[in-house]
Amino acid sequence: MKSEILYPGAFPMVRIELAEGEHIKAESGAMVACSPTIDIESKMEGGFLGALSRKFLTGEKFFFQTLRASRGHGETLLAPTVPGEIVILDLDGVNEYMVQKDGFLAGADGITVESQMQSMSRGLLSGEGFFILKMSGKGMLVLNSFGAIHKIELKPGQEYIVDNSHLVAWSTTTSYNIEKATSGWVASFTSGEGFVCRFRGPGVVYIQSRNPRGFGSWVRQFIPVSE
Amino acid sequence: MTDFHPNALCFGDEFPAGGVPCLVHVETQGLTIAFAADGNQGQAEAVPFSSVAVSAGGLDHDQLVLSWAGPAGQRTLYLKNSDVIRAFRQAAPDQLTMPLERAVGQVRRVRRRHRMVWGIAGGSLLALTLGLWFGNDVLVELAVDRIPIEWEQKLGESAYRDFLTQHEVAKDGPPVDAVTEMTHRLVSQIPDNPYTFEITVVKSDVVNAFALPGGYIVVFTGLMKEAERLEEVAGVLAHELNHVLQRHGLERIVKQLGFIAVVSIVFGNQQGLGQMMKQLGVELMTLRFGRAQETEADLTGLQLLHRAKIDPSGMITFFERLAEKDEGRVEWLSTHPMSSARAERLKDRLAGMPEQSLEPFTFDWSKVRAALGAPTGPGL
Repeated sequence: MKSEILYPGAFPMVRIELAEGEHIKAESGAMVACSPTIDIESKMEGGFLGALSRKFLTGEKFFFQTLRASRGHGETLLAPTVPGEIVILDLDGVNEYMVQKDGFLAGADGITVESQMQSMSRGLLSGEGFFILKMSGKGMLVLNSFGAIHKIELKPGQEYIVDNSHLVAWSTTTSYNIEKATSGWVASFTSGEGFVCRFRGPGVVYIQSRNPRGFGSWVRQFIPVSE
Repeated sequence: MTDFHPNALCFGDEFPAGGVPCLVHVETQGLTIAFAADGNQGQAEAVPFSSVAVSAGGLDHDQLVLSWAGPAGQRTLYLKNSDVIRAFRQAAPDQLTMPLERAVGQVRRVRRRHRMVWGIAGGSLLALTLGLWFGNDVLVELAVDRIPIEWEQKLGESAYRDFLTQHEVAKDGPPVDAVTEMTHRLVSQIPDNPYTFEITVVKSDVVNAFALPGGYIVVFTGLMKEAERLEEVAGVLAHELNHVLQRHGLERIVKQLGFIAVVSIVFGNQQGLGQMMKQLGVELMTLRFGRAQETEADLTGLQLLHRAKIDPSGMITFFERLAEKDEGRVEWLSTHPMSSARAERLKDRLAGMPEQSLEPFTFDWSKVRAALGAPTGPGL
């Protein structure tokens, strides 16, 4: 299985080459084009209950699509719905990532996607909800962001503060606390940041350069209000 | 090429920030850590227990973190594999036991705190739901207020028509005329009445009368036979009319439908509720009102009788007399349980009402009783 990011930047695609018999799972609706040797199947990843919990708990899609090179070698082109970068990670069976609900684009068959409950404070204040996706297993993992993806590398004990709306993925060896952006409550909200996540290494945190919620609010002001 | 199955992540100054997968073995004197070099098993690093510091870490504080200063600098190992952690706990010397137990204690505390917070949150949510379900009549009333009268009428009508097809209806005669006149007298005294009441006399010895949502009332001839005075029948009618006016039937249905239905009505999804209510048509016939609803129908019924210039004491005496009888035989009592407190409350309210001149009915009660086949004469 080989992968390559095409047109890096705001409107990228990922090309994934599959040898005969290989398959990947991708977010429903992610396929842009594929070789005629590729079969597209719809699958409830993790069984019915797994798919149900993913749909209702994290807001992810109920079905994933499986792209299988059934009749020989082929390739598929995948793209996310929103404009933004794509990053390809390689999971080795030991490193695991938590991914915000819109961040998953595709994964090798060996990747397990499950929804996991967060602590109460993180669920309430992180902006990610009470349940987020946990990616584990072995193989290629393709994530996408809204805007550019920036990788923050944290050494053991090193800290970094991230606005909660900009999180994409973070390794499970990191830990984070939710805190006010400034020392005072009023200033914390008038600064426009509200709550932030204080990450502590070791590990990697992927962030996105644009805030989807902020963008939504910005667009909303231009939508005419119907009578 | 040997298969390399890492079981831990190692962090160090020369390693990438995401850590390097490694294979940890627990030996009697310490750990051996093997790294994969270009897909091949590379050099192994031996770490004695004496140089290791232990703590808990990771996103959920569920990983065992071992750190030490090696020849290549500071190293940190994140262990999640339960077999390796168990082996480490068994092999660790005494000086590591304390920090190890502290780390384990920390993990347990974090987990216990998570469970407690979620337990409290879940318990609060459950308490709130139960509170809304059992206690919050305000929400039920709010939901009932949003149901149009036409819907209520459709709901009641289907159950009413269905009931009448299975019973013999008295179409005319003195009993029907009497009930019609009583109803007109009472209904004319209801201000802003949104209902068109339909009263039917059903030929049956069952001592019963009931009201369905939407203004449909059934009076059994058995109940009329049991009544010694016409005011007693008028009392039952006033009571049943007020079950309709206060929308008690609808309130019971909404309560039975549950919290989800209430929320759907409050937030405007009345379509789905209509479907559910259709299925409840059969259950309408066995609907029992709550104690508060009975009291409300009693008191408002008493006031209605007073305004209609009908002697309200008939209502109380009839209720009391029925209560003395066998409750299993008198069906009306099974859906309208009578207690002495209830009768006393009515008597108190009646005592506080101003004197009212009574207006006689145009029909002859003895003729009604004769038509019903009930004994007539003095004392009845």
